[in-house]
Amino acid sequence: MVTNFLVALVERILNTSLKLDSTLNDKLTPITHKHLLIEIRDWQQQFLLVFSGKQLHLYSTIENQYDCMISGDIDTLMALQNPAMLTQLIRQDKLDLQGDLNIAQGFSNAFAAMDIDWPEHFARYLGDAPAQQLWLSLKDVQQKGLTADKKLTTTLSQLCQDELKVTIHPIELEQFKQDTRQLKGSVAQLEQRINRLLQNHSNQ
Amino acid sequence: MNENQQKTTHFGYQTVAETDKASMVADVFHSVAAKYDVMNDLMSFGIHRLWKRQTIASSGVRKGHHVLDLAGGTGDLTAKFSQLVGETGQVVLGDINSSMLKVGREKLHNLGLVGNIDYVQMNAEALPFPDNSFDLITIAFGLRNVTDKDKALRSMYRILKPGGRLLVLEFSKPEHEVLSKAYDFYSFNLLPTMGKLVANDSESYKYLAESIRMHPDQDTLKAMMNEAGFEQTTYQNLTGGIVALHRGFKY
Repeated sequence: MVTNFLVALVERILNTSLKLDSTLNDKLTPITHKHLLIEIRDWQQQFLLVFSGKQLHLYSTIENQYDCMISGDIDTLMALQNPAMLTQLIRQDKLDLQGDLNIAQGFSNAFAAMDIDWPEHFARYLGDAPAQQLWLSLKDVQQKGLTADKKLTTTLSQLCQDELKVTIHPIELEQFKQDTRQLKGSVAQLEQRINRLLQNHSNQ
Repeated sequence: MNENQQKTTHFGYQTVAETDKASMVADVFHSVAAKYDVMNDLMSFGIHRLWKRQTIASSGVRKGHHVLDLAGGTGDLTAKFSQLVGETGQVVLGDINSSMLKVGREKLHNLGLVGNIDYVQMNAEALPFPDNSFDLITIAFGLRNVTDKDKALRSMYRILKPGGRLLVLEFSKPEHEVLSKAYDFYSFNLLPTMGKLVANDSESYKYLAESIRMHPDQDTLKAMMNEAGFEQTTYQNLTGGIVALHRGFKY
């Protein structure tokens, strides 16, 4: 039931995107009623995606009826955000495809080319100028977030790769011990000398 | 045998004449029709939508298919099937109750779903279609209200095409004792109260709780489907067995 709930949520997001990008409907029209079965190997799950002409339908299914089936790990499937990767991934045996390639390409191209005019949608609630300002601010925050993320990734990579001195070397420790012993010996000699001088002074 | 003895059946926990059950069930659904969708969401906390999604996911429905949504009532499943079968397919929304059918038709028209949906008032025990008419038959939360379930299952089998399937989504027996007790408390104490507050009808929701307890359990229904001729019959428990989805094929 949890899977069904999450799939329903994703379906809702997809259909909201369909409403927000007026061109997405046209891009999906050539593949209306074509069943795309997506098998995510590492999740051991199958999902059926269909565009009915008005809505996208997404279901978690065990059915094996499809017009096109793509099968791969989640990382491989995420790489399909770039439609040009499709044939490359198939050649590399990272992606298994059965059925009509045009259907997979159709979905991939349609979502890759998705372009939601957010300022226009915000403008309905905020007005043109505030909507544009908000959009620019969000883009700025996104850019800063990406930069910070990149910086963090680089720093962590360097930390993991470079040798960082968090403790002293054993040889340095031995040297330190030797120096300490020597100092201790010198202090003991000095103490003896001082005691002799004091004794001589008190005897006089 | 006393010829004057009538055949009896159950109406919830009551024993009634078989000939009376259909009209008694009709009265219940005439009463609840207007608030049916709201009450479904309220009583199941919206989970009934996930149960119905699972039904569609298990249907194998394709463009051009002919689908019968039996006891389809307010058309939740029909709305989805209509989109999935497309212009070349057809969905028949069938229900014995005219009030439910009226609510369903209005809802689907308001959703802009016209063209490939027919509305037929029918009795599941005697379906008015030729043999081998449908690729898919679904009956969601309706079978428990049918007087002669075996007769209904045989009727569904007759009108299915070879290769077609039947999906029965229905309340069933919870898998675990703790859940069963909690479910009983909820059904017999809270549901009638909710019915009284929202629909001003506690008796109908008392019938709901009782009729669920009188319905066959998962394995019994599976055996009944096999007896009617269905093959490869399986079931899937949903929400701990509170609901079960049975699927059988005609070959």
